[in-house]
Amino acid sequence: MFNYTFQWNQALKYLPRMLEGALVTMEIALISMVIGIALAVLLTAFRLSGNRILKAIAQTWVEVARNTPALFQIYMAHFGIASFGIHLSPFISLLIGITFNNAGYLAENFRGALKAIPDTQTRAGRSLGMSAVQSFRSIILPQMLRISFLPMTNQMVWAILMTSLGVTVGMNTDLYGVTQDLNALTFRTFELFAIAAVIFYLITKAITIGARLIAARLFRY
Amino acid sequence: MKLTYLAAGLFAAAAVAGPVKADKLDDIIASGTLRCAVVLDFPPMGSRDENNNPVGFDVDYCNDLATALGVKAEIVETPFPERIPALMSGRVDVGVASTSDTLERAKTIGVTIPYYAFENSVTVNDKTDITTWEGMKGKTVGATAGTYEAIWLEGQVKEWGEGEFRPYQTQADVFLALSQGQLDATVSTTEVANANVKGGKFPGIKIVDKAPMVPDYVSLFTMRQEYGLINYMNLFINQQVRTGRYAELYKKWIGEGEPANLTVQGVYR
Repeated sequence: MFNYTFQWNQALKYLPRMLEGALVTMEIALISMVIGIALAVLLTAFRLSGNRILKAIAQTWVEVARNTPALFQIYMAHFGIASFGIHLSPFISLLIGITFNNAGYLAENFRGALKAIPDTQTRAGRSLGMSAVQSFRSIILPQMLRISFLPMTNQMVWAILMTSLGVTVGMNTDLYGVTQDLNALTFRTFELFAIAAVIFYLITKAITIGARLIAARLFRY
Repeated sequence: MKLTYLAAGLFAAAAVAGPVKADKLDDIIASGTLRCAVVLDFPPMGSRDENNNPVGFDVDYCNDLATALGVKAEIVETPFPERIPALMSGRVDVGVASTSDTLERAKTIGVTIPYYAFENSVTVNDKTDITTWEGMKGKTVGATAGTYEAIWLEGQVKEWGEGEFRPYQTQADVFLALSQGQLDATVSTTEVANANVKGGKFPGIKIVDKAPMVPDYVSLFTMRQEYGLINYMNLFINQQVRTGRYAELYKKWIGEGEPANLTVQGVYR
């Protein structure tokens, strides 16, 4: 039994505030992706390097990021770090949590992409006189990013959706946080969350379509 | 002969129409179970004991209401933000969840007369220099998302135009953040503040002042159109006070002293 009268005008008057929240959500997802990709490249380089310590760092990072809930990672970035006396704002905590998660997953994507690039290419590069770093940067890295471009889009979508976990660390400016605030105020739960769901859908759809268009343009052979 | 057909027809019509006319109050009595939404992260109103059983003032009120109705009580744990979805999706019949009766909310749900009233206190981290509620100006403050005091505090921070407001999902997270120094101060019901300061789980916090809000009257709630049930619950609340049960439960869960007056001077209801 669902006994509820929808009053859309009561919720739609808050649309501007929710759209502002959507901007914050996109901002967090975007920053976390940019830093996440940089970190993932670094982790991949760590894994390829012969150094045992660097390898262990990369391995631990990827293991924790992939095998614990994102909620836990974000919670730890706020309350966990704070027990060492470091106080971060909800925004920064959420950003760190999502970035940590992104870097772990992307590093794994990159590893898969590397497997698709034959070893012989590195060797060819080396025999032409390139250093190990040079051949990684000019031969392997561009191909790796190309192969893992669409999986990266997935992670971007995931990052957008993960921002909704920010409410656990006190975020109230992102789309989900704003929605929850308004819900407490008005109890118009179903209208507000339906609107939020549509906004989330439109954002992620725009990302996937945009990524496909970019890929079609960038990766023409 | 005709009369028999007519009688049979009327009987059939009554049988079909019967269940439609039954309201929520009838449904509860017929089902033999009263399902209450209770927040169990809100001691002393609702929490869990060592054996993980729900206990608290709200839990006892649900049990009393069920006893009055002659049915079994079922406590459905519901965090603050999920009270309304739980009611609207039919997971619970009523809410006994310390719900403030704001006019904004009453457009969506049906609220009873107040069954309890909270005073709110300002609790601060020891390391801050806040001694009055005005001292919160420009500081980082927080409260439990979806509560009356959170709405008030957020409005206050906006009015001051400085400082930061952070809503956390549970009361426990608010006091953890306060104890860690992530928050400088919080506003919570005096009952909750006392329980947490004395509880010892969150060191380094103290109560410094009362928050200057009108008493936070809280109501039982159900579907807006269920007048029968709302009427019944109004009478129930009246009887709880009249019979001294209200005072008794106050003593049991909150402690010595007078329970809050549930009437407002100079106006009906």
